[in-house]
Order: sequence, then C-alpha cells, then structure tokens
Amino acid sequence: MQAIAAPAPVAQHNGAHDEMPRGRRNQPPRDRSHTATMPYRLLHRLAFALLLIAISAYWTSASAQFGSKSAATTAAGSSVVTTPYVRAELLAHAPQGVAPGQPLWLGLQITHQPEWHTYWKNPGDSGLPTDLAWTLPPGLDAGDIAWPVPRKIPIGTLANYGYEGTVLLPVPVTVASTFAPGPLAQEATIRLRASWLVCRKECIPEEGEFTLQLPIKSTTALHAAAFDAAAKAQPRPVMAGTNGIIPDSQAQIVDGNALQVSVQGLPTALRGKTLDLFPETGEVIDNAAQWSQSWKGSVWTARIPLAAQRSNSPSVMPVVLAVQDGGHNAREGYRAELKVLGTWPAAASMATVSPALEAALKANAANAAVPAPTGASALTLAAALLGALLGGLLLNLMPCVFPVLAIKVVGFTQHAQNRRAHRISGLAYTAGVVLSFLALGALMLGLRAAGEAVGWGFQLQSPAVVAGLAALFTLIALNLAGVFEFGHFLPSSVASLQARHPVADSFLTGVLAVAVASPCTAPFMGASLGLTATLPAAQALAVFAALGLGLALPYLAASLVPAIARALPRPGAWMDTFRKLMAFPMLATVVWLVWVLGQQSGIDGAGALLILLVGMALVVWALSLAGRARIWMGSVAVAAMALMLWAFAPHVTRVAAEPSVAVAPAGSPVAGWQPWAPGAAEDIVASGRPVFVDFTAAWCVTCQYNKKTTLANADVLADLQAKNVALLRADWTRRDPAITAALAALGRSGVPVYVFYRPGKPPVVLTEILTVDEVRSTIATL
Amino acid sequence: MKLLRRTLIATAALVALGAQAAATVGQPAPDFALKDTAGKTVRLSDFKGKHVVLEWTNPGCPFVKKHYDSGNMPATQKDATSQGVVWLSINSTEKASGDYLEPAKLMAWKTERKSAPTAVLMDEEGTVGKSYGARTTPHLYIVNPQGQLIYAGGIDSIPSARASDIEKATNYVKVGLAEALAGKPLSAATTQPYGCSIKYKSPA
Repeated sequence: MQAIAAPAPVAQHNGAHDEMPRGRRNQPPRDRSHTATMPYRLLHRLAFALLLIAISAYWTSASAQFGSKSAATTAAGSSVVTTPYVRAELLAHAPQGVAPGQPLWLGLQITHQPEWHTYWKNPGDSGLPTDLAWTLPPGLDAGDIAWPVPRKIPIGTLANYGYEGTVLLPVPVTVASTFAPGPLAQEATIRLRASWLVCRKECIPEEGEFTLQLPIKSTTALHAAAFDAAAKAQPRPVMAGTNGIIPDSQAQIVDGNALQVSVQGLPTALRGKTLDLFPETGEVIDNAAQWSQSWKGSVWTARIPLAAQRSNSPSVMPVVLAVQDGGHNAREGYRAELKVLGTWPAAASMATVSPALEAALKANAANAAVPAPTGASALTLAAALLGALLGGLLLNLMPCVFPVLAIKVVGFTQHAQNRRAHRISGLAYTAGVVLSFLALGALMLGLRAAGEAVGWGFQLQSPAVVAGLAALFTLIALNLAGVFEFGHFLPSSVASLQARHPVADSFLTGVLAVAVASPCTAPFMGASLGLTATLPAAQALAVFAALGLGLALPYLAASLVPAIARALPRPGAWMDTFRKLMAFPMLATVVWLVWVLGQQSGIDGAGALLILLVGMALVVWALSLAGRARIWMGSVAVAAMALMLWAFAPHVTRVAAEPSVAVAPAGSPVAGWQPWAPGAAEDIVASGRPVFVDFTAAWCVTCQYNKKTTLANADVLADLQAKNVALLRADWTRRDPAITAALAALGRSGVPVYVFYRPGKPPVVLTEILTVDEVRSTIATL
Repeated sequence: MKLLRRTLIATAALVALGAQAAATVGQPAPDFALKDTAGKTVRLSDFKGKHVVLEWTNPGCPFVKKHYDSGNMPATQKDATSQGVVWLSINSTEKASGDYLEPAKLMAWKTERKSAPTAVLMDEEGTVGKSYGARTTPHLYIVNPQGQLIYAGGIDSIPSARASDIEKATNYVKVGLAEALAGKPLSAATTQPYGCSIKYKSPA
C-alpha cells in the first residue's frame, strides 16, 4: 500500500489554512474550483486566479517528489488519502472475485486523529454526513452507505452523531449479469470521490479522490475482518413477532413539545439496559436535551423533547437504538421505524400583516430613518398615525360619506367669492370632524376601560343608533330634495344662528360627516384602529384625531388654497339640480340602514322603522307649511307621529330572538358558508384542512361590497373548492364578544377582516378591499 | 406593546436563569443588547418596525468562508439592506477558542470581503446565541417588524462546504425576505442550518 497520496486540493488547503497563524489568513489559496464571479470582483478574481495557478504548480511539483500523482490525473491513482486529521482508504471485499450474483463490498475506512470525528447520515446539530460518489465500470452499481451505529458526540449545549477512531463506511455493490469485462481484463477500476467534514471543535471540509484496481478473477479479502466488523455494527431491524409481523413501534406527540417513544421487539439481552437513540430523520428532536427512558417489560419507552426550531414533520421516524457504552465504535444496534401518532405542533400562530399596512409601515420606516431613535413605540405610533390619515382621506370616497361631502361642496360654492369665509369655514369643518372623532374615540376607549368588548363600528350594533341614523339621513335627503327648508320650521333663533354663523354651520357639518362616516371601515383604518387597543390613551386619541384630519383634509385644502377653490365650478342654477340629485344617495343610504336594522330586529323592526320614517317626513313637511295650514297639519302630524312611536318604536329596538344568519339575500352563490364559532377554525385546521374566515357585518359597506364581488367570483369559489377550504363567516352585525376577541387576536378591532388559516403555518390576513387576484394568489399558497 | 415588551423581558430573564427556552418561529424574538465591533451597544428592539436578519458567523469556519469568499453572503446582505432590512452579524465564538477574532480583526475580515451588514455584534458569552438556539455558523434568523421570529435555519438548501453548490442552491434568506417584504408568509420558515458548531463558552 502506498504511504502518502496527494490529497485532494480542497482538503489540503483548508487544512493548512486552518493552521495558519491568524495574521496570515488574508490570502488563503482557496476557491480554485469556484468559478462564479460577480462583475465588480472581476479584477480581483483575475489576480486571484494567477495566484492559484502558481500554487497549483507548486503543488504538482511537491506531489511529484513523493513519487505519486493526483488520483484524478492517472489511472494508477491511490486508494489512500492522508490529511492532518484523517487517513482515508478505499477498501474492497470480493471473496469470489467480481462476478454477477457474488458479494461485492466497497468501503471508505476513515481513521481519525484523536479527538477528531466525521459524521453519520444525520449529523445532529451541525456537521455534514460523509458523501461518496462512485465511478464504476458498466454493470457495477453502488448502493447507499450502510452506516454503522454512530456515537453521540456532545459539544457543549449541542450534540452531533458521528464516528471517532477508525470506522469503515461499507457500500454494497451489485454486479449485473451485463458486467462484461474484456477477455483480457484482469482488473476493474474503481474510482471514488469522497467528501467529508472532519471536526474537533473546529471543522475542516475535506475531499479526496481514490482509485483502486480490483482483481476480477481472483479473491479480494484482505480486509475481511474490517468488513465483518462493519457488518456487525450495522443496525438490524427489531425482531419480528411470532407471526412474522414487525410489532408496532410508536412515537406519540405529547404536550406539543415531546415524543413519547415506545419500541417493541428489542432482544431480551437489552432489557433493563440504558440505550442511546439516534434519529435517522434530522431536525426533529432536541439532540442535546436530557431525556428519560425506562423499560416496561419487553417495551422500551422514552420521552424525547422536540427541537424548538423543528423543520421536519415525518409520519414515520426510523431510529437506531444501541446500548450505551463507554467506547469502541463497533457495537450492535437495532433499527425501528416509529409510527408517529398525533399532530405535529404548528409553529405558534402569527398573523401576518396585510400588504397595505406593510406598505404604510415601510413608508414610515423610511421616513423615520431620520434621527428618531426613540425606538419601537415611536415607530409604531407614527405608522398608525400615517395609516389613520390615509384611511381618513379614503373615507371621503365612501358611499356613506360622499353625499355629506357633496352638501359641503354645495355650501362651498355658495361662498365662492369670499376667501376669508372659506378659510374660516374650512377650519370650522375640520374642527368639527376632528373633535367628533376624538369624542367617539374617547367613548370607545372609555367603554373598553369599563370592560365592554367593543370595536370600531360598534355604534351600529345598537338598533337604536341605526334607526337614529336612518332618521337623520331621511331628514337630510328631504332637505336636499327641497321638501322643506330648515329655516321654515326651526326655531327662529337657531335658524338665524345658522344664517349668521356659517362657522357653527361648518362645524356641525363636520360632526355630521363623522356620524355618517363611522360605519365605513376603510383600508388602513382597520389596522390603525386595531392599534389603538394597545396604545396608551393619549396616543390612541392621536390616532383618532389623525383619522379626522384625513377626512377633513380635502375640504380644508380647498378652503386654504385659492387655486383649488378657483378650480371649482362657478355657482349657478346647476347647484339646485345638483343638490336635489344628492338626495338620492342619501335615500340609498337609508335603504341600507333599514336593511341593517332588518338583520338586527327582523322584518317587523324594519317595517316599523319605515313607517316611523314616513311619519317623520310628514311632520317636517307639515311644519314647513305656512300659516294656519302649518298649525293644523302640524298638530295632526305630531299626534300621529306620537301614536306611531308608541306603537312601533319597541319593534325597532327589539333584538330579534333568533339570530338570523347575516348572509346575502337568496339567490347569491354563498353555498358552503358555515357560521363561525369560537375555536371552530382551529378545530378544522387541526384536521389538516385550510379555513377561510370572513369577519363581516351587515352594516359594513366594504364587507358587503367584497361579499358581492370578490367572494362571489366564480374563479375564487372554484379555487376555494379545489383546495377544499372550509368557509366560515363571523357575523358581527350584533355585538358578539367572542368575535371581538377573535378580531383582537388578529390585531384588529373592526370589520372587514379576511383570514386564511393553514395547517402548520401562520394565518394570513388579507387586505380590507379584497381583489380577486389577491385571494386567488393566497389560495394558491395553501 | 407593553405586553410584548414584558414578554421580551420575561424571555430574557428566563434565558439569563439558564432556562434556555430557545426562540421559536412564530413567537416574539428574544430582545438583546450586544456591543458592536466599535463598542457601541445595539439592541434588537432598536429596529422595531423593520425586518431584521440575524446571522451567526465565525470567520474561522469553512462554511462561513464558503459564503463569504464566494461573495454570496455579502451579496445577500447588500440585497437585504438595500431594501431597508437590518442585518446583524453575530459572533458567539468564545474568547478561548482558536477561532476567536478581536472586534477590529473581525471587522477587517468582513470589510475585506465587502461585507456590509448593519452591524457586527460580539457575543463572546454566547447568551444571545443560546437564547436563539443558534447551533451552527452560519445560522440565520429573520425577525419581522412586529418583533416576531419568522425564520430560523440555513442560508441555503444545499448543505455542503463547496462554493460551487451555491449557484444550485435556493437561498432561503433571500426568498424569505422577498416573501416577508411582500407581506406573504414564508414558504420555508424553518430549515436545516448547516455548518460548524458554534464555539460556545462552556458553562462555568
């Protein structure tokens, strides 16, 4: 046997590199095989390549001095590679020569320097398994490494599985009947390129090329003892039962953090002894953890903690068991395939943030990159404020706000000639909006502090508020349509107040805008308002104020910047037409509110509300008449209204006994939706099925829009069905503390919220305004 | 917010007590305060609101060299920081180890390879490394803007010391960051870290 062969370059230079004094580490002769380059490093690389060529030349001459050539360059290569840490030798065992059907084993024998080790198939917490790549004559086929029983090698708080001392990694080779060496061939050339990682505390990756001339006709059994020992160290399957069936060995997942292992069929000689366990599947158990084991008759049991960052969830876990001993490598081991019972714990659920909020956070993070290192809360607060401001802006376009804005535009054009009046009314409007939002926010926080489970839009969960808003919108619509003028029936002092104090008028318009805007949870708003639940009161109120500012901003800008005001159309006869037109969106809003009330109080409640609205319309019309007609009609109308209130008002506020599931009217394709219940989503996910939850409410316009468009889209429905997604609808039309809590868990305090729950992954929260693309791309990731 | 901070403090306290509750994906990432190579204290909580990558490193480890000498790690860092992501390289090698490099030398080694993380942090006591359950160099983690751990694992999908494998491998950190920045959940949230064992200080 040759003494020393030229080690593969990688092995050599890495080894040498590690031993170099620190100060000279700068120019390691490495990367000779690496060709990937980046443009900016080109010059650097060129210089490097020249250096490498020089070093290679040196090496070649150095090897020549030992009288041997690199295995890669000549057929008569070496079967041995020696590095400072290991001596590795390619061995063969062919007692009957190389012939079809006869046993043929090849193997790499690694002799480690003391304290150094290489790795098993599952290396444990670090390391790499030794890799063998064969080049064999046609007809010879190498199998996988028959790994001998490894050792557990603890390194501080970590643990590896591997080999110390001398180990032979045998590989069975099958000789096919097609194996046909030429009639004159005496030997078969076996080539092996092996790579291994050898470690003490430090690690050196090494590679070696090996060549062996294997006699075909004669016996090769020089290393029979080594191959015998390796065969003995092969883990053998646990014993079959009397009926030949291998008994069930199990790993039950317990408490979500451990495996309760029970192994049957181990030989009696092992009973009562302490065993080592080596999992063939990596990244499942906590390799270095202490664990307990015991024998229950013939069954060995152990409780083994799971890794905190487990990345494998196998259904069958093969393990190797061996008696714990002090020393030598060759020891008997037994292999059992554990059937995994129970569900692998999902990584703790974590709501991912919607891209919209993410964008806001990102934009903000960029802004706040300026010196504002007050840290976390400043950043989050700034993001929330920005989100609220944008949300407020978008509110202007919501169907329930636009008419109010339109009133304001009408009013605005009336003052078109007076810039000072503009400014004042703009500021008054802004003050009205912001103060109303602050009041609403304070009320919400106050209720929260008092222990009430409320969220944004909570006002609309009360039928009385819905009815009140319906009445308000009816009045506005009648006024816009010209049925009555406020001045005709309001006490003259109030009327003149309005006329003489446009400031107060603007302020009240602002209040009105907030009253009607509150049901519309615009994008950004949901997330920003969700934050208010966790912010200190002062900061939470700041978020509400930002929301108000956003809502008031377009008007404020128009009032302060003359250019915008000039761009507005001139007043004229068209204004009256426009005003009357705006009555219709108002009436549409009333229809919607009546429908919402219908969800809450049933059809009787909705009917009662309608008749009361008619009565109210009668009253305001009567009061707007002049002279005796006003007194006469007014009395009758007021009396009739009083009677109707007495008769019908209880119907309006009475909550229907049966919780009517707030789904779309008949005819809509909403089949398959189940009502949400606390824990329902988690239960379904645990069974391995993804779940989509629609947190909605009848009074939420965005929710209804999404439900009728995206969620009714045929492609979306088909995708949901294809992935067998369970559909749950959480209806928040009426107060429901369980839903409020579920929303809070997702970091939200209002609807809509759309969530996908997936087995083993964190839930995904979608944006408030759903697009078909977004839903489908999310479904695609399920 | 308060609750989160309290959880972080509690986690830190547990770790200090030696409870060794390793960080878990989906849970709040343990906060820490470490000195950078210039002696300035850096806290994880300084970067709330941004994505943060934690990279365990040790220039003495061939796997670290594989990714630095090939330019892969510096390029991944640059790719991340150019998108507003914070990148913290942490060295948990104990002072007694042959691999230990003093802060200035460590920084010089990094600079020479055009590595420009947000900061290079010294964790000679190994407390932070252990609190994250960091096992290998390299071992990578991603923390989201809410302070939760969303990734733990390897730099890429081919565990080897060969630089030529980098091209063929999936860079989990690059992919994970792209997904996280797009608001998507990570397709691979835990993977196998590979490399040298971290040379932790042995418990006294």
